[in-house]
Amino acid sequence: MSGDTGEGKILLPATIKRDAVINIRALLSHPMLTGMSRDQTGIPSPAYFVNDVVVMYGDERVAHFEWTSGISRDPFVGFSLLATKEAAVTVTWKDNKGGVYTQSADIRFSAA
Amino acid sequence: MSDSLSRRSFLKSFALALAALAASSRAAAAASSFAGPDDEPEDDVKRVLREKFGDRPIRKGHLSLDVPDVAPDSREVPLLIESDLPMTASSYVKGIHIVVDHNPDIYLAGFDFTPAIGAATLDTRIKMRRSSHVRIIAETSTGELWTTSRFVYTSLNGCV
Repeated sequence: MSGDTGEGKILLPATIKRDAVINIRALLSHPMLTGMSRDQTGIPSPAYFVNDVVVMYGDERVAHFEWTSGISRDPFVGFSLLATKEAAVTVTWKDNKGGVYTQSADIRFSAA
Repeated sequence: MSDSLSRRSFLKSFALALAALAASSRAAAAASSFAGPDDEPEDDVKRVLREKFGDRPIRKGHLSLDVPDVAPDSREVPLLIESDLPMTASSYVKGIHIVVDHNPDIYLAGFDFTPAIGAATLDTRIKMRRSSHVRIIAETSTGELWTTSRFVYTSLNGCV
């Protein structure tokens, strides 16, 4: 894994113009175990995966993802957003063991 | 001069041999049981689609799925999904669904969108148990269902 479980990262384009469709990438450190694997001592590892992701833009809920453990370890998702306002993009990941992880990044329009 | 010529001809014949090898392995793969252009879902996949979408028709089109033909690591198969469907308040893609025929969870993930997203694109990485069709289904706010599928060959079991 690239970091401690629950470490989130949100990547925005370097420059953002008002009303442009931008690409946002969200990454979380998480093992995403299916429950079918075993650890190094042969003991089955119980299922442990992110199953619910919410994307907020300011106070507006713009997207919601439902996942199974079929999403790869350290889950990554890239999606679009219509940059209509200067506001925070907040992603909240929840896992099946009650873990809640949040990360946000501010959308600021570049002068031009 | 003659040295570089022989090197060139060697490279040329090597490249031809590689191309022939690739063609023959592709032909062999196409002949194996789970391959072929037929992407008619099997019964268990049909059941999942019916549970999710009812008896509404699922038509092909409006979606592109970019995925490797052969996944070098089936624990991380990259998917890039794009659509030319409109993303306006009156008509938009409200959901994109990923279905993998031969995975333990056939219904792998669902992504719900609002018009604020601006474009129905998606980029993620999935696990695959074995070679399988990967199906993408887009659901519009007007209730239409569009699909596309690709067959992906895998090497290792990716269900960790």
